[in-house]
Amino acid sequence: MSVETVVSEDDLAEMVEQVWVSYLDPEGVSPLVLTGDDKQTTEVHSTVSITGTWHGHLVYACSLTAAKKSAAAFLAMEMDEVGQEDISDVLGELANIVGGNVKAMLPAGCFLSLPTVVLAPDTASYYPAAERISGLYGSWDGEPVSISMWQSVKQQQEGAA
Amino acid sequence: MTLSQADFAFVSALVRREAAIVLAPGKEYLVEARLIPVARQVGAASVTDFLANLQRKPNPADQRRIIDALTTNETSWFRDREPFTALTDVVLPELVKSRGSARKVRLWSAASSSGQEAYSLAITLQETLPAGWGYEIMGSDISTEMIKRAEAAEYSQVEVNRGLPATQLVQYFERVGAHWRVAPHLRRNVSFKHMNLTAPLPAMPPFDVIFLRNVLIYFDVATKKSVLRNVARLLRPDGWLFLGAAETTIGIDDNYERVAAGRTSAYRVRSAVPAGAARKG
Amino acid sequence: MVIDDSRAMRMILKRIVAKLNFEAIEAGDGQEALDLLATMTEVPELALIDWNMPNMNGLEFVTKVRAEPRLREMTLVMVTTESEQSQIVRALAAGAHEYVIKPFTEGAMIEKLALLGLVPTGANS
Repeated sequence: MSVETVVSEDDLAEMVEQVWVSYLDPEGVSPLVLTGDDKQTTEVHSTVSITGTWHGHLVYACSLTAAKKSAAAFLAMEMDEVGQEDISDVLGELANIVGGNVKAMLPAGCFLSLPTVVLAPDTASYYPAAERISGLYGSWDGEPVSISMWQSVKQQQEGAA
Repeated sequence: MTLSQADFAFVSALVRREAAIVLAPGKEYLVEARLIPVARQVGAASVTDFLANLQRKPNPADQRRIIDALTTNETSWFRDREPFTALTDVVLPELVKSRGSARKVRLWSAASSSGQEAYSLAITLQETLPAGWGYEIMGSDISTEMIKRAEAAEYSQVEVNRGLPATQLVQYFERVGAHWRVAPHLRRNVSFKHMNLTAPLPAMPPFDVIFLRNVLIYFDVATKKSVLRNVARLLRPDGWLFLGAAETTIGIDDNYERVAAGRTSAYRVRSAVPAGAARKG
Repeated sequence: MVIDDSRAMRMILKRIVAKLNFEAIEAGDGQEALDLLATMTEVPELALIDWNMPNMNGLEFVTKVRAEPRLREMTLVMVTTESEQSQIVRALAAGAHEYVIKPFTEGAMIEKLALLGLVPTGANS
């Protein structure tokens, strides 16, 4: 079954906006501006996997600066105080939050994995037997932030059959 | 370009006076960022121009736009809680006694915005009225866009987090994609109508309770008087009017008397208050 | 008590409850939280609990707490991304008192705690 019929890019945009309103931009002065630039390069990323009645991954990727900004917001620290562990923790939680909200829109019987964080561009990770099916690409005060959804190819084929 | 101190002071005074919002110094950047879309919306060349025009020639609609832009985006379910508690503890028990033959109550959420007040009232009635009783709630708003939203009855996750007990969320809402929609069994008794409170109102059966909250603050005294007059015509003689926390009819309309209602106040038409009932002058 | 495997989320929650004059004790999973509770003479008034955590998840933690008379007075609030209707029902049935879905704004969290009578008057302006 195709996920686009279940989780549209508008849905993703709304979930992401709520993350900004709640944690990253509570004052409403620096929103994520959607650019649609699916070629933009990122420097760090985190992934949660979804299993059960739906198989795939949710990837949250951004520049190192955006990651530091996020960590600074969550952990109430200055950007230059942010360390690698802080970045890992925050990116993991961001993937968890977006992934969890995506899961709630998928058919019942899905499970979310714990997040994995890689301090490298999102192109460095391979999702064997999965294909990117939708994504949200934006700029946060000039820094790239991308959220993409991957679905297992086998499941897509089964869905199409 | 940053906001001048004078402009910041003007905006601070406005929102403090009209919406009890306190803007700390240092928030100039926030005010400016939030007012840029407003200036654009009214066709002003800049925030500075917008504010200069407004100071030269005050107008409530633009003042409202400023307040809306600076208040938090979320409204709340059971806003301020006490009027809803008053409904449960004081008003509905009294109505149940006095409306025994009809076994029905009619409520009006005037200025219903996206519908949260109307549906909050519905939940309150659903949980408080005895078996065999019915209710009708009408929500009205001057914005057709808001009426559509209220009728759609769909709210985001962030919106349903706000002041709605989880037990009520699961009982009265159903998930629809990323949103939560009010369940049919609750929507059944709630309808919405486009209405301008400052204009003569259509004739309709009167209401037992009217919520007219945080609407009057946007109007000048003359308009407040006419709105209260219009609204009074649609209130049952022994009905109850609830205003916003910072609002009152005192000094504006003598036909109403303020009475205690639980931990808050309500307004009732003066002649109808029975002797011995709780009074708050 | 703030129970979440994400330090970032624990920080957010700590900051919010500090505004309400609560001192927060942190735990990274349900088991750690239970172990801490066993050592405490004064039981915390409130626990904010994530669902998905290693070792022992939030639902299990709630179930265990509600089964222990000594911990009767604790108010249990789930704070989680699990947002399906059935999950909320499960948590409430297991004994959670309230449920907050992530992401939540500070205002929303404070309002939820106010519903439970945990907010000193004047703290949520």
